[in-house]
Amino acid sequence: MSEATVTAPAGASRAGGSAPAPARSRRSWLKPLLLVALLVVLLALPLYVEEFWLRTGFAVFGAIVGAIGLNLLVGNSGQLSLAHAFFLAVGAVSYTYISGEEGGLGVAELGGLGLPPIVGMIVGVLLAGLAGLIFSPLAARLRGIYLGVASLALVFIGIHVLNSWTEVTGGFNGRAAPNFELFGFAFANRDPELYVLGVPFREAERLWYLGLVLALAAYLFARNLLRGRPGRALQTQRDSEVAASVMGVNVQGYKARIFLVSSMYAGLAGVMYALSIGSIAPESFGLELSILYLAMIVLGGLGSVNGAVLGAIFVSALPLVFQRYADLIPFVGDRGSGGLAAGEAARFLFGAAIVVVILFEPAGLAGIARRITGRFRRPGGSVTQRPPESHGPTSEPTPSDPPAQGSTT
Amino acid sequence: MTGATAAGSATGPAGPEIRSDIPPVEVDGVSVRFGAINALSDVSFTVQPGAIHAIIGPNGAGKSTMFNVLSGVYKAAEGQVRFGEHRLDQMRPYKIAGIGVARAFQNIALSGTQSVAENLMLGRHHLTKAGFLAAGLRLPKATREGKIHGARIAEIAEFLDLGEKLHTPVGVLSYGDQKRVEVARALCTEPRLLLLDEPVAGMNAEETDRMAAAILEIRSALGISVVLVEHDMGMVMSLADRVTVLDFGRLIADGTPAQVQSDPEVIRAYLGSGDEADPAEAAEHHAAEHHAAEHHAAEHHAAEHHAAEHHAAEHDQTAEAGRRPAADPRSSDSSGATS
Repeated sequence: MSEATVTAPAGASRAGGSAPAPARSRRSWLKPLLLVALLVVLLALPLYVEEFWLRTGFAVFGAIVGAIGLNLLVGNSGQLSLAHAFFLAVGAVSYTYISGEEGGLGVAELGGLGLPPIVGMIVGVLLAGLAGLIFSPLAARLRGIYLGVASLALVFIGIHVLNSWTEVTGGFNGRAAPNFELFGFAFANRDPELYVLGVPFREAERLWYLGLVLALAAYLFARNLLRGRPGRALQTQRDSEVAASVMGVNVQGYKARIFLVSSMYAGLAGVMYALSIGSIAPESFGLELSILYLAMIVLGGLGSVNGAVLGAIFVSALPLVFQRYADLIPFVGDRGSGGLAAGEAARFLFGAAIVVVILFEPAGLAGIARRITGRFRRPGGSVTQRPPESHGPTSEPTPSDPPAQGSTT
Repeated sequence: MTGATAAGSATGPAGPEIRSDIPPVEVDGVSVRFGAINALSDVSFTVQPGAIHAIIGPNGAGKSTMFNVLSGVYKAAEGQVRFGEHRLDQMRPYKIAGIGVARAFQNIALSGTQSVAENLMLGRHHLTKAGFLAAGLRLPKATREGKIHGARIAEIAEFLDLGEKLHTPVGVLSYGDQKRVEVARALCTEPRLLLLDEPVAGMNAEETDRMAAAILEIRSALGISVVLVEHDMGMVMSLADRVTVLDFGRLIADGTPAQVQSDPEVIRAYLGSGDEADPAEAAEHHAAEHHAAEHHAAEHHAAEHHAAEHHAAEHDQTAEAGRRPAADPRSSDSSGATS
């Protein structure tokens, strides 16, 4: 384009740019306001909501942490991993062993270091990270489905170890996980007794806050990471490894580091899982758990932190909610009463939801949310509609079919 | 008329001051093999500091392979590539980026989901330090780093007319814009050597002119060396100080645009040798011969027909290869016609 034609659209789009400006400023205070409101609601919830919802909430917070971690690896860096259940198990078992007491449950002699739970949690996270780091050289050599299959091996190794290393894991029957405790404050029903505004704060209430803090920290860290230098490098190497390395990114190094971070997230999710169930058992950390986590990020939206959160809420809360309201939902009933079991019904729904999402909204729940808020924000148009209008005036049809970019799917 | 315009501009890097920290690129006897195929055999040339050096040649001549060797993506089986005291043929790609060699890709290799600014910021990767922890916790040093480099990026985007689109996702930009983002991203690494792989392929005439002007300005403002692979002969001949011509992985000419244009080897590579009949005619001839032999049995007939077709197809291919220089190397005003 010559000078003359360049300046014209530039001026035009600047004039057009002033229109969305007020909308953007309105959004700039609306968004923090909504976030603060959400936070207040989340903080106040234990005062009003019954225990079932708080327990479900803690399980969901744990799932959120794990899903964010998996999405960093799969969605943002393009490394398919089915080993997430294994890393969760490493976190959960480490926590249980390090903070658990020695003792026997009849047949099984259980070991335990009896260290403070916070130590168990931190070491559990670090050990899961270490496991990820050890596996990462393999991840750097394999890609796509091959990496997925290779990572599958870890799940089977994990199950085997869980079943046979009885002293640490409790073996086939599993073992109870110690309550969390921070500087003498137990996240349990007692020690100390606690009432807030006349509401007894027992284990469920306390864990809710623990989960909220951990999930929030995990969320913010991931958001910052992706917006920063490492995030750009990771997303570029997902789209083109050659381009990333030619632009100065040590691709192998970054793959290893994101594996480390992702498995640390998984380790924390594992600790939270143990706390939420109150015990660990080999069957909890099977392939199904890995698949559920994949379902979370696919449903939520690959590569989006918000998506991971939404997906985790949907996938982890649904079976529990179904269970709870089994008698109100058609076709769902207790085992033996003729209907579907709640867990099965939830699984059917995931299956259907995944098919629907992949067909109609590959950006997942996050994409749907973005669409809704986008319409709400700016009735005129969305981000995708801006560029055409910005060079609209000149637009002789430039060859506008860019080669397929490695999209998030 | 042939060399007039080209020779005029081929007076070498006149005007721009060449920075003292820019060494020549010495490609010395480089060979690259893929199995039995010699993608490059024994290619040697030198890119002078501050020069715009074009690498041209028909499709499959090894131009992109050469670029992949220069940026460390392919390893040379033999030979050396020196850039000052560095041996590019022995370094990993990200290390090569670290010493100031930047590359813009032919088939756009940007991250479509990220904004223009984020893509350009990637160019600053080796100039910035924020690691996982600093970025994840938003430590002050990471934020400060982002601000400083953000300013420079805006400047570079402005230079390539991308200022307005800084926060637009790359995936929705027009093709020409994306090509410019490619070049801008390479510039964002503050290179000493800029490798441009077909920067105007698929662009219209106006965009091509703008890109050509931008390349000249990059050279004169930054004083860096530019290596260019390009099919657009008009652009190559008017921009380049020196031209290296490859054909089937061999170097067949190396010199000023004027020298290269009159080189018989080059003309043969581009236009085919004169003794070959017009390939289309040849194909027809074959068909006629086939018709003459039509008294064959039906099966034979089918088989032969097939063979003849095959032959004709082969001829078509050679015709294609021969005809491609629609951008006749001598017509320097045919800018934008190819793609």
